[in-house]
Amino acid sequence: MALAPNLTEIAFAVGAGDRLIAVSNFSDYPPEARRLPRVGGLDASAEAIVALHPDLVLASRDGNPRGAVQALEAAGVPVLAVSGESLDAVLAGIRQVGERLGRGEEAGRLAEDLARRREDVRHRVAGRPKTAALLLVWPDPPQAAGAGTFLADVLEEAGARNLAAGRGGWPVLSAEFLATADVSVLVVPDSADARPAFDKARASGALSRGAAAAARVVRIPDDELSRPGPRVFDALETLAKKLHPEAWNKETAE
Amino acid sequence: MTSGAAGRPRLALAGALGLLAGAGLLGILVGGVHLSLPALWSGAGAEGEAARLVASIRLPRVALAALVGAALSLSGAAMQALLKNPLADPFLLGTSGGAAAGAALASLAGISPLLSPAAAFAGAAASSVAVAALARRGGRLDLQRLLLSGLIANAFFSALLLGVFSVASASAARTMLFWMMGSLADASFGKVVALLPWAAAGAAVLLLYAARLNLLAVGEDSAAALGVDTERAKRQVFVAASLLTGAAVAFAGIIGFVGLLVPHAVRAVAGNDQRRLLPICAVSGAALLVAADALSRAVFAPAELPIGAVTATVGAPLFAWMLLREP
Amino acid sequence: MSPDASSGTPRIETRGLRALYGRTEALSGLDARIPAGEIVAILGENGSGKSTLLKVLARIRPPSGGEILLDGAPLLSQPRRETARRVAYVPQSVELVFPIRALDLVLQGRAPHARGFSADSPEDRARALDAMKACDVLDLAERDASALSGGETRRVFLARAVAQEAEIWLLDEPTAGLDPRHRLEFLDVLRRRHLESRRTVLLVTHEVDLAARIADGVLLLRRGRTLASGPPDAVLTVDNLRRAFDVEFREGPAGLQAAALPDRPPVVR
Repeated sequence: MALAPNLTEIAFAVGAGDRLIAVSNFSDYPPEARRLPRVGGLDASAEAIVALHPDLVLASRDGNPRGAVQALEAAGVPVLAVSGESLDAVLAGIRQVGERLGRGEEAGRLAEDLARRREDVRHRVAGRPKTAALLLVWPDPPQAAGAGTFLADVLEEAGARNLAAGRGGWPVLSAEFLATADVSVLVVPDSADARPAFDKARASGALSRGAAAAARVVRIPDDELSRPGPRVFDALETLAKKLHPEAWNKETAE
Repeated sequence: MTSGAAGRPRLALAGALGLLAGAGLLGILVGGVHLSLPALWSGAGAEGEAARLVASIRLPRVALAALVGAALSLSGAAMQALLKNPLADPFLLGTSGGAAAGAALASLAGISPLLSPAAAFAGAAASSVAVAALARRGGRLDLQRLLLSGLIANAFFSALLLGVFSVASASAARTMLFWMMGSLADASFGKVVALLPWAAAGAAVLLLYAARLNLLAVGEDSAAALGVDTERAKRQVFVAASLLTGAAVAFAGIIGFVGLLVPHAVRAVAGNDQRRLLPICAVSGAALLVAADALSRAVFAPAELPIGAVTATVGAPLFAWMLLREP
Repeated sequence: MSPDASSGTPRIETRGLRALYGRTEALSGLDARIPAGEIVAILGENGSGKSTLLKVLARIRPPSGGEILLDGAPLLSQPRRETARRVAYVPQSVELVFPIRALDLVLQGRAPHARGFSADSPEDRARALDAMKACDVLDLAERDASALSGGETRRVFLARAVAQEAEIWLLDEPTAGLDPRHRLEFLDVLRRRHLESRRTVLLVTHEVDLAARIADGVLLLRRGRTLASGPPDAVLTVDNLRRAFDVEFREGPAGLQAAALPDRPPVVR
């Protein structure tokens, strides 16, 4: 059972999708996951979970509340808490899940493949001037990815300088900072929900004045950006290509 | 209490005005980006531009904070006098719950966030009317029942809000939560202008009834015997206080402690004569909230704290200290 | 300002007055005539309607039927403030939750005369101070009224009524809960003020001996109606008192005193 969308994706990615008996509400990738029964959002109820008698529950250390996880453990349900607080942690998590589900080999191969792509990106943007950027997970209130988050890693490894790195976690930024900071690029998630919110913020909200208004906006699909799973590496590549397109131009098409 | 129950009203008013001016200056100069007056005034080039940009962002915030602070303090003072309870605050009678529910339901229904203040205000108004209706007894507004029905209203709206939260999308829930904690971000002169007439109307009514509130504070019976139309007075004060609270919450979310603390503190310094207390509360409340706003922007810059969190963090220990000092 | 004492018009007259207290009928058709310039004691057991009568006269509660005439004119057709200028009410107990200067409390008595109920002028102040002097509470002027003793507070409220310059005073159990010394002090002040200006004073009490000693007239109530009214000797008979209070009264060293309950043997003194 997977209690967060990124964990659902990891499980499928290591080939253990058939072992899942239930997933969290927003688990919609891969498409097969949509057919599985839902067990609640990031704050799923412990009773509903226990009632389904899972052999293992995959929980997100940052996403699921600790109390719920402890309740499950107290009820005797084995829980694997996976951290997503950095890209390294995501890779480690993939391996962990693979081990526990008996797909250690596939997990190892997947992790290596992702690590290789990550290295490739790092290699290409190395030495290039770092763009001053902010990754805003939401515009209203304007919440950025601070230090110690996997998205901060994404931003930095894609060749940008995270202006919100002075604070940890997910700080809410003030309008005056957004107007005067030296930001050239705003990375924002793209989804049906997010787009109008960002447009409004740009038009009349916190992103409508000064530097934030003038900055270039790079949209990355929300599904890839917000889940610390295999697809975040797709986001990494997409972002890096948008920030430093010259690094890919030299390649001949494959 | 100390130097007689009359206190020192004139001194207190002067002090409060001074505080307001100081806080206003602070609000404009302080924040994630520190400005200095000379840079603001005559700064040229990019630096001057930046300074003026920041000031133009902060100025409406300061104005909004002042208005909201004044409105909440006035409402709190009036509530304390009306209910003869020094622990009353503007949210006691269900207005905050109603406003929050109004805004939440509106955002759930997909209504444009621009209309959010109107929805919040409508919610607050509906709540006040319901609470007053529940408290009517034999054609009179029963103050004891008013308190109880306010509690019921707040409980009801909390439950309603929890329901809305559980159904709302994560993003909508996040926006709502932040608003509920009180926020002056997105302040604009448009909002200030929209809030002003309501705040002014509420304040005017309260000041008009200040002397009558003094009489009511001694007792409803003795006030009636002195010729006051007590039912009318209670009603008008209640409406004015609800108006002030509803409008404040509509534009700035739920900011606690201001309405409770300011009247308490001012009373300790300047006595309980509403004719003096109310204006001093308005000015002091404005100063307090402007200062709190500056704090919310400066402490964890560039991040911004919700102002309700600041007032609670500063307010709770301050209030505890005041209570301990009382004989 | 002098009341119409000589002609037959009573100061206050009620005819068939009815009033509710909550859901019960506290006054059930009460007829009374209060002549001008007298101290009238209103006696009756608890629930007989004494306090309600006072409150209706002070326009704190509306009647549910009957008529009230003040100097021959219907009371309720006057504006409230007008009544407040002529009728002062001193409540039995007041809970002062917030601190208030005693002088300010007395100044509130000037409200009916002031614009917007806000009494602020030097003349108001002067009258308030005079009133406090007349009631022996001038030394308390700057003190916090919420911290005063029961007796002191009562006299401050009396000063408030004096400052109100009303010709008619309604006092609800003014000596209840006072120790003997404060009781005497209060009654002393009351009597002096009354003599000075020949005000009409209505005094609700259940202390029969007090009524006997201080009142010019007595109104005895029972179950919301007048049982008897007139001079004390005429009204305060053992018969009347038995019917009013359900208790035997006897002459004792301190005047009439409740002696025994009807179905118990009387106490031998």
